[in-house]
Amino acid sequence: MCLLASVNLSALVDDPRMAEGGAFHFTKEFEDEEGCLLCHKYPKLARIIETGARRSYYIIPEVFGDTVHRNVECGDCHDYIKQLPHREVTTGVTCDKECHTVENPATGKPFSHKPIVDQYSKSVHFREKVVTGNAQDKPYCITCHKNPVYNPKEPLPPRRILDRCKICHEDQKFVAAWYKHTSRRIKEVRRETEEIITLCTNCHGDQRLVERHLKAAAEEGRELGPKYSYAVESYEQSFHGKITRYGFQPSANCLDCHAEAENYFLNVHNIRPSRDPAAPTSKERRTETCRRCHTDADDNYANLDVHPSSLPEEAPFLYYAEHIYTWIAYIVIVVFVHGALYETIGRRRDGVGWQIRHGSSWWRKSARGRARDFNR
Amino acid sequence: MKLSHEARTVLETSMRINQVDTAAREDIESLIRMLPDDRVLLYKNVLSNPIGDLPRYSIHIRLQHMLTFVSFLLLAFTGLPIAFYDHFWAEPMNAIVGGVSVSRVIHRTLAAVMIFAMIYHLITVIAGPIHQIIRKKFELRRTIIPLLKDLRDYKDDILYFSGIRNQRPEMDKFMYKQKVHYFAAVFGNLVMVLSGSAFLFPAFWATVLPTSIANYFQGMMRITHPHEALLALLVIAFWHWYNVHLAPGRFPMQWTFLTGKITREHQMEEHFLEYLRNLVEIPEERSMLREMLIKSGLDRTSSVETGSAVLPSGKAVPP
Repeated sequence: MCLLASVNLSALVDDPRMAEGGAFHFTKEFEDEEGCLLCHKYPKLARIIETGARRSYYIIPEVFGDTVHRNVECGDCHDYIKQLPHREVTTGVTCDKECHTVENPATGKPFSHKPIVDQYSKSVHFREKVVTGNAQDKPYCITCHKNPVYNPKEPLPPRRILDRCKICHEDQKFVAAWYKHTSRRIKEVRRETEEIITLCTNCHGDQRLVERHLKAAAEEGRELGPKYSYAVESYEQSFHGKITRYGFQPSANCLDCHAEAENYFLNVHNIRPSRDPAAPTSKERRTETCRRCHTDADDNYANLDVHPSSLPEEAPFLYYAEHIYTWIAYIVIVVFVHGALYETIGRRRDGVGWQIRHGSSWWRKSARGRARDFNR
Repeated sequence: MKLSHEARTVLETSMRINQVDTAAREDIESLIRMLPDDRVLLYKNVLSNPIGDLPRYSIHIRLQHMLTFVSFLLLAFTGLPIAFYDHFWAEPMNAIVGGVSVSRVIHRTLAAVMIFAMIYHLITVIAGPIHQIIRKKFELRRTIIPLLKDLRDYKDDILYFSGIRNQRPEMDKFMYKQKVHYFAAVFGNLVMVLSGSAFLFPAFWATVLPTSIANYFQGMMRITHPHEALLALLVIAFWHWYNVHLAPGRFPMQWTFLTGKITREHQMEEHFLEYLRNLVEIPEERSMLREMLIKSGLDRTSSVETGSAVLPSGKAVPP
């Protein structure tokens, strides 16, 4: 009986904005037909996993009810759960499953993220959901995609639009649901440059992770990208990185060069290493990639270092040049400050004052005789 | 004052090229005789107008200086936060000008202004001497071209500051420091334009340069542009501003960059040879100086007191 209990969560949401909206529920009622919330409604449902990290299994119904997966029943993804209370989960959710409750309106077939997963499986980032060792450092779908909330910057659908919809579409819940669904897809949901850089930096800027992979690659005799060990640092020192840091959006971020230009949303999942001739950063295709922005780029241009560094092992000439420049700057300060002091003391001893007073700056007493004669 | 050989040459040359008549020549010579032997006594006792007494820079040079220094300071202000992005001051400094989307426009526009000033200056320094050559008034030693004399002047100045000599050397219109500073600025400007162009037109440089060099060139320019800018800023802050505004007698500022004029005492102290030319070229300066010498009792021809505390070698007279 308990399993069949339906939890009508909309009753829990006591939001004055909804009253203002005119008895209009924006959040779909979270019909917990499967009874998962029987346990997962408890905020303290959590455990410490083997690595010592805390894992929370708490579902906040009103938040989940506002996410893009709200129409998908729990069992569609967590299909390994056959009984309640369920056994320990070992595999977890993979994203190439087919939904039973949501169908693709274009094809009539069950909806699935399989096309994206297929693309991802060709990329250098690919890993299975459950892996061991260094492969765990690679991103799985949920590393970057955290079940996003619909239009997070828009807590309530705009009334002036919904009022129009409501005239014909009498089912108000339908109106709210479709507004969110369509508006999210029409709006630009591409990550901003800063977000992309932060996302990539999370792993590629993690020095311990990078060293782990460098070591493993050396042991296995595998090749890694020439910039692998300082990809983030060198990007920050490049012009692209420097002006992106200040929020200049047109400048190239990681994906602008490392992903195919065509169909961004599909191709960002298929990042290939530069040693792969099919990669946009490969020697074969680099010029074409540069030309996306720098229309007059030629092969020579494409050979310029976009991840510049002055590390001694990478560019010893630049490393020493930079050191020499720095030393020249120090020498300039020391020499000129001392020169100025030397001149000041020398002339002050001969009676010069700081300012011109009454037509002369030589109004002080001179330690070297020949003082100005004020009686003259 | 018995003029040194060098000063005498300068004076004679100036009188020749200015086609000074006999009366004026006699006037100048009598004035020179009136001068005390010790030049220190001369510049210590004359009166100067802080705004400037004697012409030094033409309106063209002043405009070029103004364009260069305003553009340079703003270029540094807009460029440094991008180059030294990881310093604490970078972010607020960049925000003041309205972020990088504004500062990049300012930076490029000012770069054009600076290049304009350079071209304007180049025209001036070519056309000016040509004009002088045509009028037979050109003097190489009056230009900014470094000469061996400058090394000697440097040595003598060091000796004066340390108290070994009691006279500063007789220097020309441009003293050794100004010559070094000028060529440093010329070099710095060219380096900044070259390295800046590598950022603005990377595809052009990649096409022009051979493959093996193009990447090194770009890398080198990436380092050079900010470091040269920083170096220029340090030289200006610690040397140029000291020399022109902060040094004793110049503080709190010299007006020369605005008025184009230099004070009399400064001209006598650091540019004595140019002062001799002033005496030839400006008759009013002669009468003014004569009046001052008589009034202050420094007139060498009228009394025994000459203030002669200097030997012809420039060494101090032992007490």
